[in-house]
This record gives sequence, C-alpha cells and structure tokens, in this order.
Amino acid sequence: MSNTHMLSIGFPAILASSVHDIKNSLTALRALVGQLENIYQDPKPTEFRQLEFETNRMNNSLMQLLTLYKIDLSQFSLSVDEHSAADILEDIVAQQSTLLSLGNVQLITECHGDLFCYCDSAMISNALCTLVNNAQRYCKSKVLISASEEDDYIVFCIEDDGKGYPENLMSPDYKQLHQVDLATGNTGLGLFFTETIAQLHVKDDKHGFIVTDNNSQFGGARFKLYLP
Amino acid sequence: MAINLSSKKILVVENQAIMRETIKHILGLFNAQFIVETESGVNALTAMKINRFDIVLCDYNLPKGKNGQQVLEEARYLKLLPVNAIFIMVTFEQRLEMVLSTIDNKPDEYLIKPFNRLQLLNRIERCHARKTYLACIENEIDNGNLYQAIQNCERLLQQDDKKMRMQLLKLHAELTVKVGDFKTAEKIYRNILHERELPWARLGLGVVAFFLGDFDQAIKTFQDLIEQYPMMLEAYDWLVKAHEAMGNDEHAVSSLNSAVTLSPMSILRQKKLASLADKTENLPVAKKAYTATIKLGKNSIHRSSGDYSGLANVYLKSNASDEALKILYELNQQFHNDPEAKLRASLLETEIHQAKGNKALAQQAHEKTVKLNQQFNKQISRELRLEMAKTFYLNGNNETCDEILNDLVKTNIDDKLFIKDIVTLCDAIIGENYAETLIRQIKKELVDINNRGVSLFQEGNVKGALEVFKQAIAKMPSNQTVLLNLIKIIIHDLKTSKPDPEKIISAQTYINKGVQIGIPHNQIGGLQVELDTIQNKSNQ
Repeated sequence: MSNTHMLSIGFPAILASSVHDIKNSLTALRALVGQLENIYQDPKPTEFRQLEFETNRMNNSLMQLLTLYKIDLSQFSLSVDEHSAADILEDIVAQQSTLLSLGNVQLITECHGDLFCYCDSAMISNALCTLVNNAQRYCKSKVLISASEEDDYIVFCIEDDGKGYPENLMSPDYKQLHQVDLATGNTGLGLFFTETIAQLHVKDDKHGFIVTDNNSQFGGARFKLYLP
Repeated sequence: MAINLSSKKILVVENQAIMRETIKHILGLFNAQFIVETESGVNALTAMKINRFDIVLCDYNLPKGKNGQQVLEEARYLKLLPVNAIFIMVTFEQRLEMVLSTIDNKPDEYLIKPFNRLQLLNRIERCHARKTYLACIENEIDNGNLYQAIQNCERLLQQDDKKMRMQLLKLHAELTVKVGDFKTAEKIYRNILHERELPWARLGLGVVAFFLGDFDQAIKTFQDLIEQYPMMLEAYDWLVKAHEAMGNDEHAVSSLNSAVTLSPMSILRQKKLASLADKTENLPVAKKAYTATIKLGKNSIHRSSGDYSGLANVYLKSNASDEALKILYELNQQFHNDPEAKLRASLLETEIHQAKGNKALAQQAHEKTVKLNQQFNKQISRELRLEMAKTFYLNGNNETCDEILNDLVKTNIDDKLFIKDIVTLCDAIIGENYAETLIRQIKKELVDINNRGVSLFQEGNVKGALEVFKQAIAKMPSNQTVLLNLIKIIIHDLKTSKPDPEKIISAQTYINKGVQIGIPHNQIGGLQVELDTIQNKSNQ
C-alpha cells in the first residue's frame, strides 16, 4: 500500500520537496549561526569556521544530489550563456568569504578581466565551490583558483599546498571512484559531479572534462576543469 | 564600484522572521538606512504603492496568497517599480529560472539561498552596474521611444565593452523585433549562433520566422528547442502562437497544455488555455483550465468575470445547468460595481434560463442585459461586446447587433485574429457574407476618409487635412493607415514651416503609438529617420 502511494506522488516530487525543506532549515540555521557569531568579539571561536564549512558542504551536496538525480532521469538541461570568468571566480570567493574571514587560509584568484566562457554559471560555480571548500580543508595555508585559455578551452584550475590527492582520486580513475569509495566516506562525489556537468558542456564535437593530479605549483593537489 | 546603499530605498519580502533579520543586518553593514520589510506578497505590493523602491529582494516561496513571481508580475503590470529599480528573486533552486520566466517578467537577478553577505552584495552591485550601464536604453523603452533606444544601443555596442556585449546584442535584437525590423534581428541572431549555440538566440530566430510569416520554420525551431530544453516555457508560448497563426487551434491547445503542466501557477497561461480549449470545443480541458484560472485569480490582478462565465458556459454546453447556476452565484458574490461582471452575469442568467426552459425568466434577464448594455457598452472589453452582439441578434434585436459589429470592425480593422473571430461568429449565426460585406463597406469608408484628407492636403489645406485625420484617429485609435497618413502630414508640415518643438513631440508620440499598434518597420522606420533629421536641424 504505502509503496503504491509513494509512486503515485512521484519520487522526483518527494525528493525536490525534501531538498526544499532541508535547504529551508539550512538557511535558517545559517542565519541563526550568523546571529550567534555577532555576539562574539574577535577573535571568534574557530567552531564558527567549522559550522560554515559544514553548512556549505551540506548545501552543495544537496544541490548536486538533486541535479544528478534529474540528469539520471533525463530531466535536466543546462542553461548556457556567455559569462565572464572573473565573475564566476568572484562568486566562488563570495561563497567562501565567511569561512575565509575566520581562518588563516589565503584564497588567491588569478584571471584576466577579458576572459569569457560559455557555460551554465550556476552549475559551474556550485561544482567549483565544493572543490574549493575541500581544498580549504586539506591545504596548509594557500589555495589558488585561476582561469585561463588553453587551446580552444577555458580552464578553471584549483591548486593548494596540502598533501595532495590520495592515489584513488587521481585521473584517470575518478569516474569509477564514486562506486568504489561510497563506503569509506571519501566519495569523490564533488569530482564526479563536476565531471558530469563538464561532460554536458559541448561545442561541436568537443566535450568538457576534468583532470586531477598533484602537480600544484605549491606542491599540493591540482584540479583542472576544461570547458570548450 | 562599491554601491552606496545609504540613499537607496529597499524592500525585503521574506516570510521567515529570522531571514528578514539577517538580510536587514547585512544591508545595515553596507549603510542601508531605508529598509521596509514585509512577510507576504500582498503586503509587498501595498508597500510598493506607498514607496518607490530602488531595490526589492523578494523570496519566491511565499506562503499563502501571492508567490514571488506573482509579486513581480503585478508590480510590473501596475508600474509600481521605477524603470531602473533592481528586483532580485530569492529562490532555493537555480532550475526554477526557466520555468518561471515569462517573456516580459524576468527578475533582474536570481539569488540562491542560503547566501552570505558578500554574495548578496555582489548580486546587488552587479545588477546596479548593469542597470546603470543600460539606463540610456531602458529609459527610452519606458518612454516608448524604441527607435531612440535602438540608436543608444548601437552607440554602446560601438564602445566594445566585452562584458556588456552579449547583453547589448540581445537587447538590440529584441528591440529590432519590436519595431518590426526583422532582417536586422535575423542578422544579429545568426551572428551569435555562428559563435555559439545559445538557446535564447535560437528562440529569437524562431520568433523572426514567426513574424515573417514562415510558420513552418518557426514551429520547427520551437519544437527543436523544446526537445532540447524541455523546461523552456518561452518556446512553448511561441509554439502556441505559431499554431494559432496557422489556424491549427488543436495543436495550440496541446502545446499550451504541456506548458501549463510545467507551470500550473501561471494564471495567464491557464486563462489562455481555457479560452483556446473552449474555442476548439475541448470541454474537459476548458473546464479544468477555467477552474484553475478562477482559483489563481483570487490572488491576482488578472482575475476576471470572464473566467466565471466561461466556466459556466462550459457547464451549459455539457448540460450541467445546475453547476452553471452555482458559478453564476459565485460570480455575483465575487464582483461588485463591475459593469463587465454585471453584464456577464445577466447574459449568463439568460442562457441558463433558456437552457432550463424558463422562457419568462429568460426574457426578464434579457431585458436586464439590454439595459445594462445601454449603460456600459463602451466600457467593456471587445470580446464581451462581441458576445453582446450575438445575444442581441439571437433575441431579434438586429439593429443593436449591427451597431456593435460596425463599431467593432471599425476599431479593430487591422487586428487579423480578432476580425477572424468576428467573421467566424457572423458566419455561424447571421449567415455568410454578412461580415464580409460589413468589412468591405468599412474599408471603403476608410478609403474615403483617406482620400478626403489627402486631397485637402494636396490642395494645400494642411490644417484641414490634419483635422480630418485627427478626427478619424479619435474614432479608430488603432487604425494603421489613418495613423500613418497623420504622421506623414505632420512631418511634411514640419519640413515646410518653421521648426516647432510642439509639433515634433506630437509626431514622435504618434510614431510611438504606431510602433505600439504594430505598423511595420518598412512603413514607419523612414518617417522616424525624417523626424530625427528635422529634430537635429532644429537643435543646431
């Protein structure tokens, strides 16, 4: 009985409405944390940093969950337009700003003002935010995000000075990782999501893709997103 | 480029108190002094009637009553927002964007919850920078000076600001479509698509094909877009128009039905679906859509008594006169002091009594209708007037019927779709040839007026000619030929006499009106150029 009832409402609707509810609570939670934080004088307790990190992560994961689910059902299409790469980087820095103001991580951006790319900016910045969020967690003191042109691609690059990606998160294996590593907690979902979104960006016969290695100029992990 | 919020009037529409607090706190950090907060859509609109806001932050998910999209639509419809105001829609999901957008009702930006202070500020700043940059175009659009807006757009494009280029190209193309310069629009869209396949440019190309009368091509373009972007509602809306223009109302109903399934909250789509389905005798769809329209209308300025009588008529057609009676009761309950509603109610009463076989009551109701019609005929919509004509004819009052039809044809002679509705009705109830004779006769009257005006003009009696055309335009405000001749004479007068700023303004006003009623670019564009030359000379 209960099964048929659920089917008649439709799982997509249930998922969308749950995500909506959780995001609602998350938004309220963030607002409350913000009010609490205002009570404290500088230097504020480091727990705020952790709270911000976790809520960012929950939020990004929820969006990715919903998007991947829709892609799986073929109910998803990109909303591509021309965007300034600098604006996308600015969005990412903005999302991370509270976290940055509380910690001692330096987030550096490098991008030419006249660099433009054709993409679904909301999806791309959501994907990159998760990865920057992770980089902040695993770096020692520095994260660099940059955008540049390579052949016919626009390349977004995130590099840090941490210990680098573990063996299992490095190309070319990341595509299978999500299946293998679901149990270990180190799922690589963010990478999987970014790869999926990258693949949907197409020009002529060229698709977007990602590359991960440990060749950061600071000695840590390096992530690159190529968009045609 | 930090924007100073201290001089800005800001409205925050958000139902959660904690979020309102947070947003207010953030705005306060950037020196905002004038902040009004409301928790519902209805109160938001009230606030906008009291204050002219520079920035509106509006949550999409407002419980009860109006949602954010309805707030935006009504604010624009009622012109409560200054042209350069920023409207930011706060949502939970970026995907909503395509579902929500209707052609003229996009917010300036979307902001996705949760957001922090820098994200909010960035959004406002970017929006502000863009609005300031485009102000010289938007202001002209707001004043109806589309040709001036196009010129300003072209001037900005020459400055080659890469960040604004796409925005400008999009605006440029949309404006050229609006004035009917389809060749230019097509060129712009093709150039963009040559660089990259962008859905809005592809849509634009379909729109151009539509206006050039190439409906097959237009339909194919819109269908391809829908296949690729199943949530792109603008493509559905245009597809519906193209099917309608082809005279294929059944296809129009089915496309519109898909769009309504995706956006059940859009009252205008539901309304359109109801009337189209009604026209095609698709009673189940019509019933559902009218019911939805009535429900949505309870919170909307688009509420109309026509939806009630529409639904009641569908019930009558399906032999459910008791249901129809219930709707009539509701109609009377919902509308007071509304002439159109009163007329519809008495019309409906007549038909219900007729259906039930109560001849005396039907006659009584009809007499009431006649009285109301005498009182209000000029104040009601043309669709209702057409219905009135039908009622009068069916009740043997041919004279009043003729009078109404004559006036309707005269004032709408250039509106092909409405004229088609008139012809369909006349063919069905009065008989073939009636409408055609009437239309021929009115066209001849128009030719006579034109000839009289033109010959006065040729005799050198400019004043007399102007008088003839001005009188004609007062009677037939949307007649393209009369308006065009009027503009031509004013411009000729300006060329041959001393510069007169008042006459220039009057010519510009008539040109703007001409663009608005759809005079094609190849007929009116040249007149605008001539007027611009005159104006430049008089400024020197």
